[in-house]
Amino acid sequence: MGPRSVGTAGSVERRGAVTKLAVIRSSPNVVDGSRATTDLVLEADVCIVGTGAGGAVTAATLAHAGLSVLMLEEGGYYTHADFTMREKDTEPRLYQEGMSRTTGDGAIAILQGRAVGGTTVVNWTTCFRTPEDVVDHWKKKHAVGGFAYAELVPHYEAIEQRLAIVKVSVDSMNRNNRTLYDGCTKLGWSVETLRRNVHACLQTGFCHLGCPVNAKRSMLVTMIPDAIDAGAKLVFRARADRFEVEAGAVKSLRGTLLDAEGRKPTGRSFTVKAKRFVVSGGAINSPALLLRSGIDAGGLVGTRTFIHPVVGSSAIYDEPIEASRGAPQSAASHHFAHRGDEVGFFLEAVPWYPALMAATSPGFGRAHEAAFVQAPHAALHIAITIDGFHDDVPGGRVTLRDSGAPIVDYPIVPKLWSAFRFGQKRLAEMQFASGAKTVRTLHEVPVVMEGKVDEAAIDAARWESGSVPVSTAHQMGGCRMGDDPKSSVVRSEDLRCHGLTNLHVVDGSVFPTSLGVNPQQSIYGLARMAATRIAAAK
Amino acid sequence: MGTSRRSFLRTGLLGGALLAFGGLGLSLYPSKEVGVATGPLLVIEPRAFQVLVAVASRIVTAKDADPVAIAHGVDRALSYALPETQEGLNKLLGLFENALPGLVFDGHVKPFTRLSPESQDAVLERWRTSRIALRRIGYQALRKLALAAYYMEESSWEPLAYQPPRGFSAMAYDDSQVGTPEWVRAQSAPPAPSNEEAP
Repeated sequence: MGPRSVGTAGSVERRGAVTKLAVIRSSPNVVDGSRATTDLVLEADVCIVGTGAGGAVTAATLAHAGLSVLMLEEGGYYTHADFTMREKDTEPRLYQEGMSRTTGDGAIAILQGRAVGGTTVVNWTTCFRTPEDVVDHWKKKHAVGGFAYAELVPHYEAIEQRLAIVKVSVDSMNRNNRTLYDGCTKLGWSVETLRRNVHACLQTGFCHLGCPVNAKRSMLVTMIPDAIDAGAKLVFRARADRFEVEAGAVKSLRGTLLDAEGRKPTGRSFTVKAKRFVVSGGAINSPALLLRSGIDAGGLVGTRTFIHPVVGSSAIYDEPIEASRGAPQSAASHHFAHRGDEVGFFLEAVPWYPALMAATSPGFGRAHEAAFVQAPHAALHIAITIDGFHDDVPGGRVTLRDSGAPIVDYPIVPKLWSAFRFGQKRLAEMQFASGAKTVRTLHEVPVVMEGKVDEAAIDAARWESGSVPVSTAHQMGGCRMGDDPKSSVVRSEDLRCHGLTNLHVVDGSVFPTSLGVNPQQSIYGLARMAATRIAAAK
Repeated sequence: MGTSRRSFLRTGLLGGALLAFGGLGLSLYPSKEVGVATGPLLVIEPRAFQVLVAVASRIVTAKDADPVAIAHGVDRALSYALPETQEGLNKLLGLFENALPGLVFDGHVKPFTRLSPESQDAVLERWRTSRIALRRIGYQALRKLALAAYYMEESSWEPLAYQPPRGFSAMAYDDSQVGTPEWVRAQSAPPAPSNEEAP
């Protein structure tokens, strides 16, 4: 079964296989650090560590403002030609720690990207502006006074244009998402179709392994080429190790060059001298870099790391769902986002793909096999809990292993367990409302419900680490912004580190709470605003 | 600087597990050789590899599953992980081999690799529902690695009716102008006549 017709423009454009992106990759401004035969000494006006949502937007903005920009990326430079739609080829290469990253106790799986383009290369294209009430909360509770919501709006608009962010129609949803949409509608719960950063999407469903047809408007195919076009340089397979700080300013950055697969150092290193440095390694990696450099903001760096912890529910329908096909996410419900004293959550669908779903589906041996082969009739939906808005939900903490690599500890506090139980019930309710015959939780000893929700059985399940899978695909915080140096790491006006004259953090680690929405567009908007201000200050 | 204390407390799952089990060593009982490696091992140690083959044979019972191939798949996947994670898995496999519940069965003292398949399943079941979080999480780590390694292979997909399309990469196109002012202008121009091609 081939792709559906994508209309006139897409059909004509797709006849050319050689892309400008391939040309960019072979530009002299793009250096493969794994092939360096000597140590590298680099200089620029601005050095940006990390080429994901924050770093790429910052690089494009500053390069267009006339600054000489150097981008560094520990990941590899992979393009559509490498995106084979096979987990075996792509997951080890496109995800942090080869997709083995977890919290320190092993209880929570952490999905985070690692490549030129960062997590945007493997995300599921869902775009939301930061909700206005979240920005209000930051202002009131976290002393974020450096910008007004209205000042973010023109940046959101520019990003929406450049990334072709468009709301999808109900008719374009795959069955996995349509069941979520219909179930919520039937129950009278608010639900909407999503905005996606795609152009001429072929609905292959492989966003999570890298878009094979360049439809996903990730940083890889937008801001990175924009930056390089404007003169920025990129060195990839270059891992930033530590800043040298002297008299309140960063003097240089030292780092290690990695091999082609990013598994081991090559023995070569690099040093960067720049007037200004920007850290855009994302939550977890950015706090770790600061900590390795002895920058800990009085113990704040690494704290208040939020992860939107997720619980899921699988549902079996009579009709085929084929959750591995079509856009992975096209619907969301925020009906339960605000629950007062309790932790809220939003509902979305997740795509199905063999290795990750085999690992998610509980049990072993024959029992696992029997449940797993129902795959074509299975839908998978999640409740994404919104952490960081309650005093008794403090979030996690990033510290350093002996090697300097980060380790995240995230306590699942009672309020989160309570939100998981409630979310599990609502997921089941929605799945039955949309026509599911059987609903199974993902507990190692699953709760299996036929025809209707069994709240007592859900309550009686083992809600403890290792008995129910908890995961995160969104990581925020760890270098929170604010205007009081005693309670924040960077100032909100331009994301400059308190106490340092030339170091900024521009990525998702600056959020004081989680967002309650998929993060990419929030990062783009804030990054563009901050970078514009940084450029204007020169 | 406090890193030694911090690292003692924060060795995570596997360091804690060592403490919990009193550091029973790998050398206590010889493991059985249950499978022959078909290539060099990247990060898993030889004895740990044997334990992994035995574990994989019970985790993945699909008809054509080859536990040695699964163990090699795990080894390859783990080569992309942090050295700490690699070391942690080797230790976990050693603990799994020598953990007390596996040792005392029917009065015999045996490591996991020497147990019957039914007894091996019983050990896995005990870790799966254990009161001890480290055992539950250790079981999950082994389970997920083995299942992911098996289901990453195309040979496992037929019963799942999973078939990703082929040859899409060649259909990629030059999209460098999308979102630029020129592109925006072109969107509002009337479309050029063209044939709607069948995919």
